[in-house]
Amino acid sequence: MGTVKVGLAVEDDSGLDSRVSSRFGRAPFLAIVELEDGEIGGVRVVENPGASARSGAGIKAVQRLLEEGVRVAVAGAFGPNAMTALEELGIETVELAGVSVEEALQRIRTRLQGQ
Amino acid sequence: MIEIAIASGKGGVGKSTVSATIVLAAARSGKSVIAVDADADAPNLHLIFGVREWEWEKSYVESKVAEIVQSLCTRCGRCREVCPYEAIHVDEGGRFAVNQVICEGCLTCSLVCPERGAIRLLSAESGRLRRTTTSYGFPLVSARLNPGRPNSGKLVTEEKSMAKELASQDSLVVVDSAAGIGCQVVSSLAGANAAILVAEPTPASFAALKRVFRLTRHFMQPAGLVINKHDVNPGVTEEMEAFARRKNIDLLGRIPYDDAIPKSMAVMKPVVEAFPDSPASRALMEVAERVMAIVDDWQSWFTRFRPREPEPYRPIIIRPEGLPGD
Repeated sequence: MGTVKVGLAVEDDSGLDSRVSSRFGRAPFLAIVELEDGEIGGVRVVENPGASARSGAGIKAVQRLLEEGVRVAVAGAFGPNAMTALEELGIETVELAGVSVEEALQRIRTRLQGQ
Repeated sequence: MIEIAIASGKGGVGKSTVSATIVLAAARSGKSVIAVDADADAPNLHLIFGVREWEWEKSYVESKVAEIVQSLCTRCGRCREVCPYEAIHVDEGGRFAVNQVICEGCLTCSLVCPERGAIRLLSAESGRLRRTTTSYGFPLVSARLNPGRPNSGKLVTEEKSMAKELASQDSLVVVDSAAGIGCQVVSSLAGANAAILVAEPTPASFAALKRVFRLTRHFMQPAGLVINKHDVNPGVTEEMEAFARRKNIDLLGRIPYDDAIPKSMAVMKPVVEAFPDSPASRALMEVAERVMAIVDDWQSWFTRFRPREPEPYRPIIIRPEGLPGD
């Protein structure tokens, strides 16, 4: 399956221990995780430009994920605009929140294996 | 923590009255509850709860406005020609000045200005974010925007974060959202565990109810419905109830038309406090008691009214003609 990049909306900047946010566009950070054949290759936490946007937060967060080459986006909920943009770009969405990045990846592993 | 957003699509149908009753009922029963007034254009929960001063208040800055530095300006007037908002005018003394109420902070003026440093960007106060403990004992988080400053999902998100800081694990957070289905309302609903929709039996309110309901479905939220002034138009009330049954919305109650409500607003008290025996107050308290029961037995209500299938709200994309991608 090669390398897949997953982007998770997170509440804090603590690597794999960061908590997945209940919201996508206005989460403070985005965790970018590289999965190599299903194994976690590397994790980077970046600021979410959507968090400080007056409006269009979802779109800004999508843009950031697109720059990172992310194929799968994870958050508790995606707003209408973010959802549309992700769909148009063919980025898969997974709704999940309140767990660590590591646990989220465990839970969606089977879905990722299909990538 | 359970977060419930109160929304209606249409304004003036009773969101704040319902919110205030639920918050008050929770506080009276000894529950930890936090009220969030997420309608920064027309905040009113503080008026219902008779708040006269804030314990904490801060300036909310998120927009920028341009300013012309007079000592560096050569009065060439190019900024005025290009300003897309026509925000630059010449005053009686021939000086160029920016009308900071109209300015959107786009900085087009500075791109054409030949004088270095003659146009600078200042931060503008968009509004105030504030918090207090009401005389009923619970905290209220509120915000107000200055005229002309755009409404903001970011401001609502800040308010909700503040409420979360005040909340404990078994707190109830009640978010009284703005009217409409715009940015502020999306932020009010996003992350909430459930939505309580308020409507009155008029075609306008029914149409708005359907619009905001779609947003709750987008977020896969269970929803309840309160019909206010149900007796002024029984036909539409019946249609709304049929809609609620069809869509698996929990019918939480009907409130009769009652002038105790405007009278209570005049004395700056929740109606259930000012006129507890009025018909509207009795109906509102029944709604609030149902909500308390739902919160206490959350899982079973959630399981029953949670949407079965995701119904994402997708804006229709119109591509310019002749572009690939269809």
